[in-house]
Amino acid sequence: MSGHVSSCRAIVPMIQLFHVSKFYDRCTALDDVSFRIDKGECVILTGPSGAGKTTLLKVIFGAEIPDAGQILVQNRNIARLRGGAIPYLRRTMGIVLQNFQLLSKKTVYDNVVLPLIIQGVKRREARTRVLDTLKAVSMDHKRTVRTGVLSAGEQQRICIARAIVNSPILLLADEPTGNLDAELAVEIVELFKKIHAQGTTILLATHNQRVVEQMNGRVVHLQAGRVVSEEGAMS
Amino acid sequence: MRPLYLLREAVTNLRVNRGNVMIGIVTTAFTLVCFGMFLLLYLNIKNLTGTLQSDMEVVVYLDSEASEQVVSLVQKRLRSEPAAVALTFVSKEQALRDFSEQFPEESLLLEGMEGNPLPSSVVVSLSPQFLDAESLSAFAERVKQFPGVIHVAYSQDWIDTLALVISYFELGAVLIGMILAVATVTIIANTIRLSLHTRKEEIEILRLIGATGVFIAIPYVIEGTILGAVGGGLSLALLKGIFEFFRLELNASGWFGGMEHILPVFPRQVSFLLVMTGMLLGCGSSLLSIFGLMKVRN
Repeated sequence: MSGHVSSCRAIVPMIQLFHVSKFYDRCTALDDVSFRIDKGECVILTGPSGAGKTTLLKVIFGAEIPDAGQILVQNRNIARLRGGAIPYLRRTMGIVLQNFQLLSKKTVYDNVVLPLIIQGVKRREARTRVLDTLKAVSMDHKRTVRTGVLSAGEQQRICIARAIVNSPILLLADEPTGNLDAELAVEIVELFKKIHAQGTTILLATHNQRVVEQMNGRVVHLQAGRVVSEEGAMS
Repeated sequence: MRPLYLLREAVTNLRVNRGNVMIGIVTTAFTLVCFGMFLLLYLNIKNLTGTLQSDMEVVVYLDSEASEQVVSLVQKRLRSEPAAVALTFVSKEQALRDFSEQFPEESLLLEGMEGNPLPSSVVVSLSPQFLDAESLSAFAERVKQFPGVIHVAYSQDWIDTLALVISYFELGAVLIGMILAVATVTIIANTIRLSLHTRKEEIEILRLIGATGVFIAIPYVIEGTILGAVGGGLSLALLKGIFEFFRLELNASGWFGGMEHILPVFPRQVSFLLVMTGMLLGCGSSLLSIFGLMKVRN
């Protein structure tokens, strides 16, 4: 019976967008966007600058409210979520941004442990999880260093560590290699592939073609706020 | 939620943002000094007028021809008055001695006169609830009707002026107190808001990783409360210094002819009030600023 269940694994939707539109002062950021990402899938959101990639990620993690359409994340309608529910939604996600968003005066450990403190994880358990995560991103040797003195590549690793430390089911990344040179970008993409291999759903926005090729996921191409093409196999 | 973590965060923030914290403390201290100076001035004037009022006495002058029987009847009737708390009989001889002691230079005036021209009197101390102008006037009118009484003296004008001054001062105290309180809140709130703006990115990061408004606000509120308490303490020290200096100067000047002891009042409640006000202002300003900053959904 269990063998039958595992062989016919149900496709569970993680993110569903239905005719989502977003405008900023009469400028269209998203125009009637509809697509779906299933659990465990890796989707690369690509397109030129200003195509609406960042806005799309922002409406998914609740930083922006769409002007039209519905967004279901883990079957919860983000467009209808009240402000007080947003932090709890974000705790189920990991978010990696281009500009790192780290607390530069705090140490690597203090930055990575923050999501666990926010969720009320016990100190001892939090410590174990942080050290394991830092090991996974090869940054455990720098845990006592302030993040402000780290290199760009190291800061992005710490940012990824903070995003995955609470084992999120969904990882959102906006241009995670945007501030990195080609060599470091390869390392970071490998890290994302490793995280995806462990079952985490990934939605990564990038305009870097090498990253798109390296990630080898489904590619959703945005242009002027519209989905113009989708390539790659669905999960 | 970890209370110790939040407290540690607040203390660390205070240490890391030393510059802004110092500005906040000094601003709080100086605005509270202004507020405290006004409060002390008000309390001292109220205390002074209260002391002067409680010393108010009514002198009932008796007819020199009145028999002992009449005099004792007047005293008996005065004792039965609810306004009178104590009576002191001053005989003609005592009045003469008092006059000579109080005005030694003018005592020559009496030497040329036959006998003792000063009347005997009864000095009546009044109960505090009868010290208002209306009660005093009614009391005097009643006593004047007693047989053997020739005159009732009390400072009607002084009482009226005092009552008027106190009522104006109380009105002024409420108005100026309100203006100072609003100014203090505005200044402290803006100082804290300015300090929070420099840490806007930190707040954005916390929100990004799922921190609730309360989790973000608590360290800032603790920080504001500590800042306010220290500011309040500093204002207390400054105020106490100014106050002691003023008291020493006052004693040295001798303007109040030995009555300086009734002037300088620095009640413990003022100390408590200043520190508590500082804490409340710091806490309230932090809350206002932090929730103002977090209104934006991002």
